Amino acid sequence: MSVLESVWNWFGDPAHWHGPDGIPTRLVEHLQLSGESVLLGALIALPLGIALGHYGRFGNLAINISNVGRALPSFGILVIAFQVFGLGELPIILALTALAIPPIVTNSYVALREVDPDIKDAARGMGYRELPQLLRVELPLAVPLIMAGVRTSAVQVVATATLAALIAGGGFGRYIVDGFAQLNYSMTIAGAVLVALLALATELSLSGVERLLVPRGIRLLMAPSLRRASTFKVA
Amino acid sequence: MIRKHRSTWLLAPVAALAALAILAAACGSTGTSGGTTNKGTLTIAGFDFAESSILGQLYGQELAHNGYTVNYKARLGKREVVAPAIKAGQIDMYPGYAATDLEYYNSAAGEATGDVTATVQKLNARLQPLGLEALTPSPAVDQNAFAVTKATATKYNLSKLSDLAAVGSELVLGAGPECPTRPFCQPGLEKTYGIHFKSFKSLDTDGPLTRAALANNTIQVGLVFSSDSDLNKLGLVVLQDDKHLENADNVVPIIRTKVATNDAKSILNKVSSNLTTAQLVTLNGQVELLHQDADAVARAYLQQHNYFS
Repeated sequence: MSVLESVWNWFGDPAHWHGPDGIPTRLVEHLQLSGESVLLGALIALPLGIALGHYGRFGNLAINISNVGRALPSFGILVIAFQVFGLGELPIILALTALAIPPIVTNSYVALREVDPDIKDAARGMGYRELPQLLRVELPLAVPLIMAGVRTSAVQVVATATLAALIAGGGFGRYIVDGFAQLNYSMTIAGAVLVALLALATELSLSGVERLLVPRGIRLLMAPSLRRASTFKVA
Repeated sequence: MIRKHRSTWLLAPVAALAALAILAAACGSTGTSGGTTNKGTLTIAGFDFAESSILGQLYGQELAHNGYTVNYKARLGKREVVAPAIKAGQIDMYPGYAATDLEYYNSAAGEATGDVTATVQKLNARLQPLGLEALTPSPAVDQNAFAVTKATATKYNLSKLSDLAAVGSELVLGAGPECPTRPFCQPGLEKTYGIHFKSFKSLDTDGPLTRAALANNTIQVGLVFSSDSDLNKLGLVVLQDDKHLENADNVVPIIRTKVATNDAKSILNKVSSNLTTAQLVTLNGQVELLHQDADAVARAYLQQHNYFS
């Protein structure tokens, strides 16, 4: 039997679609771990990145936070956090949150920095105060880049949440780790396929969210033909 | 002031080193004093883990006490290194484990069982053509075992694996992710003992995850090795394998027939027969957790049990 066939049969086995180690349970576990981590990461990273970008200060700080964050291996954090906090979800959430923060900080910082100074001037001239100007002028313009950061972060977290299985956590990583230990390679590959599909689904659904968040006028502004036209004009 | 402090700190290790050097010199001068006449020279090797070094010292020191000259090759390597060395006559003896050694010398033919006498018999059949023999196995055993916390043991009145059959449905089993498919693990517990657990949790094989999960009651029964050094410290109770599910990995000296005189055999068998798994756990703990030297730990054990008197 070919590898593809045995993986297909694994998916076809109704026993793998219910119960405590069925695909629906593992999907919920995986989504819960990733969702909590991205949410926590966004709660920390968005205000930080937006504030730094808006005031245009401590840019180095933002970049350094990101670089340090990227340099820390998630597996290392996971193992150390396990030593400190013991068995449970906390070490996994910590490791994934640390992974979630850097792309959001960098992108929000850059997004706010890139808002055209002329537009900010115009907003100030029309009588906007600081906070309304940030909320109604700068943020809508910055949404596409900020959301790109959130998307990158979420996809990375979904893909990395498989590590949870190494410290007895749930999620699709279970299939990879257990399949490997049991020499059941169809299970391992099925787990990898499921993670890849979930990462794709995350990317696509967050693109949808992004479309909803970006005001129509700005979407038009960013349409390729218009962007090319404005480049031409500037040139 | 600061500088003065610093200089005393710097001096402390120097003083400690000097003291050590004097101590070492003092120890060296006492040397190894044999018993009566020299009965021959034996080289004892060990595997690359603490328990093997301790066992080697236990056997070796008792031989030395009875007039043999003993050389040690502790932590020589894995069985893949040690076994060829004894076949080639480079070493004379090593502390083996009945089932694992049988499966090594028979190229994993699957002859080992939970019956230690039968296992050693088969082992000897394999060893004889090589000019080797396995002596009488010790009751001390280093094999897969299932542990519960003292609290769980008291609550359900557990002392052996067959006690689990009645209460298994209330308990969670934790072990390495391969456990659900391995005959010595979950399937074996179901078939041999009729234990059906509430659920299984994928952790690690005898590692920190299993220990953490037992400690916070995520699981109630965990897979460990019967002579693990930290069992006492963690308050874990190993349930007796009363129906012999696990292969009999009893400690057994494997020795070259050429040096295995009746005198040497009787000395080694005496050490084996008096050693228990519980004592092995304590000895392993002294070396692995308290960082004492294997030779000192072995000497203290032999003295305490009146071998030297």
